[in-house]
Amino acid sequence: CLIVLVCPHQASTLLSFVFWHQSSQSTSPQQGLVAKISLTSSLWPEVKHPDPVEEAKYHPEVVQKVNQLIASGHYRSLFAVVHFTSKQWKITSEDLIVMDNALEAECGDRIWMGKVLLVGADDFTLMGRPLLGKDLVHVEATVIEKTKSWPQISMHFWSRHNYQRKKIIVKPSDCPTDKQHIDFPLFV
Amino acid sequence: MVLLSAPRWLRSRLTDRFWRVQEVLKYARHFRGRKNRCYKLAVGSVRRAFVRSTKARKEKKRFLRALWITRIEAASLEHGLKYPAFISYLLKSQVELNRKVIADLAIYEPKTFKSLAALAQRRRQEGFLAALGDGKEPEGIFSRMVQHY
Repeated sequence: CLIVLVCPHQASTLLSFVFWHQSSQSTSPQQGLVAKISLTSSLWPEVKHPDPVEEAKYHPEVVQKVNQLIASGHYRSLFAVVHFTSKQWKITSEDLIVMDNALEAECGDRIWMGKVLLVGADDFTLMGRPLLGKDLVHVEATVIEKTKSWPQISMHFWSRHNYQRKKIIVKPSDCPTDKQHIDFPLFV
Repeated sequence: MVLLSAPRWLRSRLTDRFWRVQEVLKYARHFRGRKNRCYKLAVGSVRRAFVRSTKARKEKKRFLRALWITRIEAASLEHGLKYPAFISYLLKSQVELNRKVIADLAIYEPKTFKSLAALAQRRRQEGFLAALGDGKEPEGIFSRMVQHY
């Protein structure tokens, strides 16, 4: 039995509490016929997600459609969410990233980013759980610059204690890696 | 015999006072009032500015995370989900995107965010069915755990 909450947003927490405490019988709010005021419905439009059983019939169709779109190349530009240097980046082609560390690659080397979490275009999105397979997406980048960061100043000072320390920290920053290529290499 | 008058002619004088003062004043040029010109007032202000910037680097991380959470909350409410439900059911569906990226998607990729919200809502409903369904309904599709080895 699916309990559908059709209650106003502000009171939903209260009502949901009441529902879950009753035995698993579906009840509908017919008892309290409340007059419609400005706060009866939520302030933004109600979103209704489709019925799960009906939706399951469309799943193979949707997958086929997306496969067709990808195979025929009907997308203008792709964006990808990539896990790289312990951070997640949302990148597109001809994008620049600056990272706060040194990579072992030299300038001009191509880097393959293996951990892709999400790939999307205008009409479809592929979400990895948590990662997408490496035969599915291919994300490459070029190392453009290897420099040092701007001199960051770290200062500690305690008043009335004659204590101050000043330190200038310069980290290596593999400045921008240009992400040049997101592609679907193998698609059946 | 020691010549004592020679050291008195050759005094050691500070010749680069200007540059030592500029080292401090260059960090104070954008301050307001006399502390952007007068060395005595600038020294303290510049010191406090450096200390505050070091401390702010830690607080920036907290502040940005709170900002991302606010933005994700606003975007998920537009799709009928509250933030705790959205985040928890997204993690339960094994989608491990962090808050920074989800906030960026909510701003620049609204369709992708809508699909994420739909996924979270669907997983939530499957969770409710599994908890209250007395074992008669089939298992949910999005509740299946994927394992990569």
